[in-house]
Amino acid sequence: MNSIIIDGLVFALPLFIMAMGGIFSERSGVTNLALEGLQGFGAFTGAFAAVMIGTVSPDMSPTAIMLLALVFAVVGGVLFSLIHALLCIKLNADMVISGVVINILSMAFTEFLTKLINAGIFNMPSNKFVLTVTDKITVPGISKIPILGAVFTNLYIFEIIIAVIAVVAWFLLYKTKYGMHLRASGDNPHALDAAGINVAKTRLFAVMISGAFSGFAGMCFAYSISSSFSSTIYVGYGYIAIAALIFGNWNILPTFGACLIFGFARSGGYKLVQALEMPSSYQDLVMILPYVLTLVLLIFFSKRNRAPRALGVIYDKGAR
Amino acid sequence: MSDYIVEMRNITKRFPGIVANDNVSIQIKKGEIYALLGENGAGKSTLMSMLFGMYEPDEGEIYIRGEKTQIESPNHATKLNIGMVHQHFKLVSNYTIAENIIMGMEPMKKALGFIPMVDIKKANKEIAELSKRYGLEVNPEDVIEDVNVSIRQRVEILKMLYREAEILIFDEPTAILTPQEIQFLLDIIRGLRDSGKTIIIITHKLDEIKQIADRCAILNRGRLIDVLDVKTTDTKTMANMMVGREVNFKTDKKDPVFGEEVLKVDNITVKNKDGLPVVKNVSFSVRAGEVLAIAGVSGNGQIEIADAITGILNVDSGKIYLNGNDITDKTVRQRIDAGIDYIPEDRNAVGMVMDFTLAENLALKSYYNEPFSIRGILNRPAFDSYGNKLIEKYDIRSSQGNPTIVRTMSGGNQQKAIIGREIEHESTFMIFVQPTRGLDIGAIENIHRQIIEERDKGQAILLISLELDEVMNLADTIAVIYSGEIQTIADAKNLTLDQVGQFMMGVGSDE
Repeated sequence: MNSIIIDGLVFALPLFIMAMGGIFSERSGVTNLALEGLQGFGAFTGAFAAVMIGTVSPDMSPTAIMLLALVFAVVGGVLFSLIHALLCIKLNADMVISGVVINILSMAFTEFLTKLINAGIFNMPSNKFVLTVTDKITVPGISKIPILGAVFTNLYIFEIIIAVIAVVAWFLLYKTKYGMHLRASGDNPHALDAAGINVAKTRLFAVMISGAFSGFAGMCFAYSISSSFSSTIYVGYGYIAIAALIFGNWNILPTFGACLIFGFARSGGYKLVQALEMPSSYQDLVMILPYVLTLVLLIFFSKRNRAPRALGVIYDKGAR
Repeated sequence: MSDYIVEMRNITKRFPGIVANDNVSIQIKKGEIYALLGENGAGKSTLMSMLFGMYEPDEGEIYIRGEKTQIESPNHATKLNIGMVHQHFKLVSNYTIAENIIMGMEPMKKALGFIPMVDIKKANKEIAELSKRYGLEVNPEDVIEDVNVSIRQRVEILKMLYREAEILIFDEPTAILTPQEIQFLLDIIRGLRDSGKTIIIITHKLDEIKQIADRCAILNRGRLIDVLDVKTTDTKTMANMMVGREVNFKTDKKDPVFGEEVLKVDNITVKNKDGLPVVKNVSFSVRAGEVLAIAGVSGNGQIEIADAITGILNVDSGKIYLNGNDITDKTVRQRIDAGIDYIPEDRNAVGMVMDFTLAENLALKSYYNEPFSIRGILNRPAFDSYGNKLIEKYDIRSSQGNPTIVRTMSGGNQQKAIIGREIEHESTFMIFVQPTRGLDIGAIENIHRQIIEERDKGQAILLISLELDEVMNLADTIAVIYSGEIQTIADAKNLTLDQVGQFMMGVGSDE
């Protein structure tokens, strides 16, 4: 039971921060299918930075390296998200196409760069950056509580950071001036414009936030799932995050719930395979659980939920 | 040096292919209600858009409070205490009224003493006070999508007042309101004037100008025709100047010659999405050469009757006959082919495909027949020649003719295109729903004449209108609907305007 919770959270929290990034972007009116590519590129930059730092100063602690890697992942995610912002906000491209293109571009580009860098700098013909395993934290005291204690057991440091960011993001989106403008931009950008606020800028920041959050998430996945960066990072977590934010009706709290369901479905599935002593190839079957769940939930949720009204609509001053 | 709060001198504004304003000069005094009168496309909105900083004039100067000013943006206009209520409201639908009003000028507070956040409580209080002060009662915490257009308009007005606007521009403010709401709005506008605000109102409704305006500038095709003192000018003169020719409010018509019964609606009931009956046991018939008008307040089932006849809605019970044939279970296209024409209320949603060209829209009811389509393949030249014919015959004006995307056309010309298309289509029965909604006097006069022409040609015509004047002007027979039930059907000669009004309220049935 404990391991279901521990593993579930390790998956759910990065998914959640990525979905939050998607919420920022989409609530501002910019459809963001690029989460997958953004997290991949973020993971690439972060992992590259981690490997470089590890080479330059081998004495640095793995935790410090991980923190730096996360910072670089955020920067990478933001930079890559600027492509989406440029295409969708400045050049009025179709947002869906831009998102999909960025995903494909990210995958091909990082795969290429990884091989190039490994061969050129590290003299190793490899298509992955291997990351060092980091320490996990168990909060003394509360971790002893039955069941609930598992939440505070064997935590990656990024899980704590995500929890803090989530609170800040929630406040930013619902309680501040900027958050109010952002949400207005996704419902009726004309109203925002009439109020004297720059729609393009509002959307640009929103997309950059989605890049930052996705990059962060990508780095988390790289550490927790494979302890390395390679093209296996592109297995569709970005799309699951999008599904989660749709189930969450583009609101942060319900989206957190959706991410938890995905996380526990995944970890619970693994546990089930082990408990039933199935052959290991059945693990692959479990891998599809989150996706099946996505399909099932879509059937129930898509009717009730309402996307932001101006989502995917290019802002054109003249149009009515 | 100047006692005018707004002066626009020799303003010229050109758009590709059109001079929207041609050397227009207006001067507006502080504290007056100044009306801009003109037909659609006369350049009223363009002129005010320049005052509000949305466009810059190509030539000419703007003086605000005696000072020459270049108004660069709506933001700048707001800083100059100019506010504008646009025809299309600019509101965030999932925000509360207060949130919409304060957006861009949010009252702030510090959470935990240092984190800035929007002080929504203070906003609610401020808006409640503001709305009370000007008699614009709203509940600041209501969400926009839950309130009606009249309230939304109040929100737009409050938005201006919250930004301390002194010069208030209203662009066609009454177009979307019911008569009662219009009266309320006019009272508000008067109140605003009395509290020292300067009001500019763009409209083509003469009676409203007569009611509230002090002075009125008349524009025609971009030129300023005259500035009139409203008190000493009658509406007829204003109308003539606006249209640029003699206008008839009353359509000339001969006595009707009734022929065979064309449409028979027999005891139909129509239910809405929630399963509630919105049309209840309605029966009537329309003869060839007759205009039967259904009068009623909006939302009493009249649109559903039209939709049931055209086949857009299914009837729950009852029968519909066209020329003696039962068409109750026929599809929409079968009914079109059987000879039903439909000029729908909602031009944009039902009448046309907005992003198609004019030529395509004109053939929308016949594109599947020869010569428009030969063995399933569209024959473009046929569209073009047919389009040219209709454009000429019905005087449909657009920037490029056949290839014009109809979305870019004015409402009046869209309606001309729809009416032309329907008249050309072979039929025995026509439904007109709100045929003159949003149109100006010249266009209204024209459409009324066409309706009577069709009647005289022997068409059976069903007219559904919320405009009582229109009903009284055109109908041979009047049916009044209230709450989905026909209150009375009578010869138009035997009903007065007041009687019809009474029936519309559901109180006229005791004779």
